[in-house]
Amino acid sequence: MSSSSSPDHGGDSAHRLALEEVEEAEALLEQHPPKTERALGDARPGGRRGGGGLVTLAWGLPGFVWLGFYLIAPLVFIVLVSFWTRTDTGFVKHWTLHNYGVLLHPFDLGNAYWSNMLRSFYTSLIAVAACLVFGFPVAYFLAMKVQKLQNQIALFILALAPFWTSFVTRSVAWAYPLMGREGALNRFLTDIGISSIDHPLLDTQFSLLSVRLAMIQLYILFMVTPIFFLLAQVDRHAIEAARDLGGNWLRTFREVILPQTMPGIVIGSIFIFVLTMSEYGTVQVIGQGAQSSVGTYIQNQVLGIQYPQGAASAVLLVVVLILGVFGITRFANLREEI
Amino acid sequence: MTAIAPSVERTQDVVIRRKVKRRPDYAKWGLATYFVVFLIFLYAPMILMGILSFQGYYGGVTFPFRGPVSLNWWRSIFESQVGNVFTHADEISAAGQRSLWLSLAAGGVTAFFAFTLSMAFRRRFRGDSFAFYVIMLALMTPGFLLGLGTQLFWKAIGLQTDMWASALGANSVWGIPFGFLVMLAVWNRYDDHIEEAARDLGANQVTTFREVTLPLVWTGIFGCVLFGFTLTWNDFDRTVLLVLDNTLPLEIVGLIQASAIRPDLYALGTATTLVTLVLILGALAVVTIRLRLRGRRVERVEEELGLVGAIDAEAAAAARAE
Repeated sequence: MSSSSSPDHGGDSAHRLALEEVEEAEALLEQHPPKTERALGDARPGGRRGGGGLVTLAWGLPGFVWLGFYLIAPLVFIVLVSFWTRTDTGFVKHWTLHNYGVLLHPFDLGNAYWSNMLRSFYTSLIAVAACLVFGFPVAYFLAMKVQKLQNQIALFILALAPFWTSFVTRSVAWAYPLMGREGALNRFLTDIGISSIDHPLLDTQFSLLSVRLAMIQLYILFMVTPIFFLLAQVDRHAIEAARDLGGNWLRTFREVILPQTMPGIVIGSIFIFVLTMSEYGTVQVIGQGAQSSVGTYIQNQVLGIQYPQGAASAVLLVVVLILGVFGITRFANLREEI
Repeated sequence: MTAIAPSVERTQDVVIRRKVKRRPDYAKWGLATYFVVFLIFLYAPMILMGILSFQGYYGGVTFPFRGPVSLNWWRSIFESQVGNVFTHADEISAAGQRSLWLSLAAGGVTAFFAFTLSMAFRRRFRGDSFAFYVIMLALMTPGFLLGLGTQLFWKAIGLQTDMWASALGANSVWGIPFGFLVMLAVWNRYDDHIEEAARDLGANQVTTFREVTLPLVWTGIFGCVLFGFTLTWNDFDRTVLLVLDNTLPLEIVGLIQASAIRPDLYALGTATTLVTLVLILGALAVVTIRLRLRGRRVERVEEELGLVGAIDAEAAAAARAE
């Protein structure tokens, strides 16, 4: 509710009268704010009624017991194991810092753990950026340009359908018939004369490029969904008002649509960052052993029954993930704004 | 809240009418074209998979297409023997059924906990920020870490892991933060005054919850089920260390590792896409019909209160009194 910023033409009494009227209206508005604004301002009525503690406890307790048993307990156990000593068949409870020492010394890219971490981080950054750039127009189209709700949902489900085929199957289909040396892409490039089967223009078979493109393909809907969800809720009247006030498309987008969509972008980025950082199944199927990530690195340690070492590597990865997510959440207050 | 605004001509009430000039929405058609390209990008592997699933006996996992065109690989996901070739049909169908039940159960469990947790978060409580990050921690925990942790922890406390006791838990924990965020978004847009109105009209807490709250957030809950189902249906990392019998993704990875990928995998992939598409559209239709039926809410309230016609009669009496 900013004050009027119209230029004041000093002596013009009619103008001043109009200004007074506006001020009066604003004062009235403040006394009787329209309902939508009140709803926005206090969307989560904190401590609305006293004595709700028991009700909150009753709603929350089952969920937290479930999370405690299936999430916290295994995690705590993993942290414990990461401080224990490895044996040939597993581990014994001899406290040691050795597992972390191996990871932190040397603390540079000569250490396979950190070079894998950095590669996964780049993959993640690329995936987040690409999913945002390519996914936003999709969400925008569905939410803003498709009028009927039924059509929105039908088109959305059409985009979602490939996700109900196991990612393993999709990865195989990606690795061989599409990106393989004899796959559709290279065949197409050969047909139009800029590549050849034996000497492909793009190194796609089992390559890092293929892995990164596949990540975009596999995860882009995790970005589209939350953005679509929030775009659908953007107040259409606000957009209309912005246009009526002379805002062009870009300005309307930047100052009306984007701020209201930001939480969706943040959530989508968190999803994709976390999922791609710790990815190993896709890397394995598409890279066919030629590619590695921090996920495959840890997996190899676990398969080699180096449980404490694998646990320490995984704990550090979670720390990195938490730092990353913490950084991303700086862009929006999730609890209040989604 | 009960104060009535005095009727004052407000500047924003003045309606300016002018002819709207319609011009073609180029942006819409541009974006529609982009959407089609996007769908092609998403479906490219599926389409290639579909094509290659119709190969003949010598068919491989990649091009060139080895004919003749046949339904052999499609038959081999349903029949245990096609011609003189033994197929993986039995294991695949068993794994598929296990996956389906597990995913449905995980969808239900996820929705239940996402919903109840989100109900707790509608009010502020002591330590709620910490609790919020505990739920988000479920999102940030890599799948194989949770799978490994569960396996080692259960072993340490002397329990045997299996599909229903542990894999269901590990998978639902994964779905809960997704569903929880969906529900938070729903509650942030939810008008609490509606519930107050229901209570003012004499509904008790249970009735309010059943007749007002639930129907309004039904779509959000459906979203939670979808998330739980989809994540579990696709899961490999969390499940692999915890089950004795394969789920579908485990079965497929097993076939790949045994270098036994053949076009039957493609037939299976194409089939699952089609089947799940039908399933979800069916579920959507059911929800739509339910919502349609709920459209006649006033009559239902009347019926339930045993007041059929009473409200009309009262209105008529009031009119007569005037």
